[in-house]
Amino acid sequence: MSGKGHSATGSDRFEYLQTLVTEFQDTDSDEAKEQVLANLANFAYDPRNLEDLRTLQVTDLFLDMLTEENENFVEFGIGGLCNLSMDRECRDQILQSEAIPLVTGCLSSHREETVLSAITTLMNLTTAASRTQTTDTAVLQCMLRFSISQSPRLHNLASVFLQDCCTEEQVARAEAQMQGHHPTALGIPLPKD
Amino acid sequence: MAGFTNSSCWSTPEVYKHHEQQKICPSRPKYREGRRPKAVKVYTINLESRYLMLQGVPAIGVMTELIELSALYGAVEEYRVLDEYPAEQFTEVYLIKFQKLTSARAAKRHMDEKSFFGGLLHVCYAPEYETVEDTRLKLQDRRRYVNRTTQNKTKEQDHGDEECKKPMSSDTVATTARTSSGDDQRSSDASNKGETSSTSQGHYLGFPLLPLPPQEFLPYRHAPSYDRLYSYQANQCRTIPTEDKMGSLHNSINTQQQLEPNISSVPSSSGGDRGIVKRLSKNPPLAAPPRFVPRTTHLENRKRKIVETNKDSLFGFVDKNEILIGPKLPDRPKMDMADESLNITANMIRNTLKKVASVPEVKPTEKKTKSAKPRRRI
Repeated sequence: MSGKGHSATGSDRFEYLQTLVTEFQDTDSDEAKEQVLANLANFAYDPRNLEDLRTLQVTDLFLDMLTEENENFVEFGIGGLCNLSMDRECRDQILQSEAIPLVTGCLSSHREETVLSAITTLMNLTTAASRTQTTDTAVLQCMLRFSISQSPRLHNLASVFLQDCCTEEQVARAEAQMQGHHPTALGIPLPKD
Repeated sequence: MAGFTNSSCWSTPEVYKHHEQQKICPSRPKYREGRRPKAVKVYTINLESRYLMLQGVPAIGVMTELIELSALYGAVEEYRVLDEYPAEQFTEVYLIKFQKLTSARAAKRHMDEKSFFGGLLHVCYAPEYETVEDTRLKLQDRRRYVNRTTQNKTKEQDHGDEECKKPMSSDTVATTARTSSGDDQRSSDASNKGETSSTSQGHYLGFPLLPLPPQEFLPYRHAPSYDRLYSYQANQCRTIPTEDKMGSLHNSINTQQQLEPNISSVPSSSGGDRGIVKRLSKNPPLAAPPRFVPRTTHLENRKRKIVETNKDSLFGFVDKNEILIGPKLPDRPKMDMADESLNITANMIRNTLKKVASVPEVKPTEKKTKSAKPRRRI
């Protein structure tokens, strides 16, 4: 692999991306996996790579990371999904893989970056078809709690979610159900950092 | 400065984790090394922001110069000193709000880890200063940009497919290719939010391409043997990628070499709005698309070639161009710079060196014959 001679201008960009995926699958080192995962997630930030990444089904790779114990894997995986899901075709590919429960699961992470990426991904994944899933009561209540958080980033993203992805009735209903409950009783802890 | 009226204006700002500079990853294999050593970090739209925090600014009254420097990358809406933020002794921390995210991105890329009046700047995004509306607009802009770029790419691909189907009349193909990529350049420039210009230059081929026979490709989850780039054949738009091997757009050499201002001294421009400076890179005419290859790549390529030729020599392969007449004395290896003009220069230098080496040493007596120049007495 080291003798591959990858030129920085990358006319063999697809091959390079595939080499990354291959290394990820073959390596035993968690450290190497983290590096490669972060690389792929960052490549997903550039729209020109999205088609290649779709072909390589990196979507599934990222989704697999969401259930890992290693918190870095989760953070990088959901970060990659956040980047990918900005594109409509990638979004559809993600939705095909029953991703929503996995993404909402990330909302309970201790890491703020993970939660933020999860909120953004959910926003991107909200379509007419998926709305009932992405804006179900549990999610809304979680967002309501985030929207009163001290962390400005969390507060902002949750507010945008509530304002843009839900109807006012939905929010009101979720709020009503929360009345009288102590916040931590909901069981979704706020991220620590 | 009415802008920063967030509720936390008077409270001590938190030192967030994303403000801290992470340690550089020491263990990357070479094929994955980027142009600069970096930490393991994933960038999402949430991390980026129009707001930049600049730490490490020497507290010697250089605020104006700092803002002027920042304004090179785009219009600055607001700025202030963050007195409350913990800072190293004799340094200050500034918060700068750019009009556009792309300007902030460019400023971060160019100013981070750079020397400024003797101090080392540490630049990071500060999304916690955004308002809800800022965040919303940021996400909307991002979505729009991504979808527009992928649509453009699809259009270019479709156009490439059409070219493949047309048998001859390469002239018309060239013209349409030029106009379409001209359009693409304009639209991609318009939608370009700071990534280095990604116009296609490979449109004009001059000959028809047959589509590849169907290949089996093996993506994630399967054994990793992939033969050819089936989708690449159709996609003739060789965009000039701007990320390095780690997928990071945040340190693109192309841009740096085109734009890098002399940061250690005060720039002469007076903080005018330079807009998106990257558009300065006008693409060369399509007929001969030279790719701008950064110098480090040349060096790496040369190194690799030397290694490869050395490897080959072990096996006794001879360069096809050489005419072998009996045993050869090992000649001094001449480096091929892989570029004609560079080779010419290298040869000139080599010849000059030979000449200089062949000239006998200047005799000491000659020096004495040089009479002292008559000095002017003031």
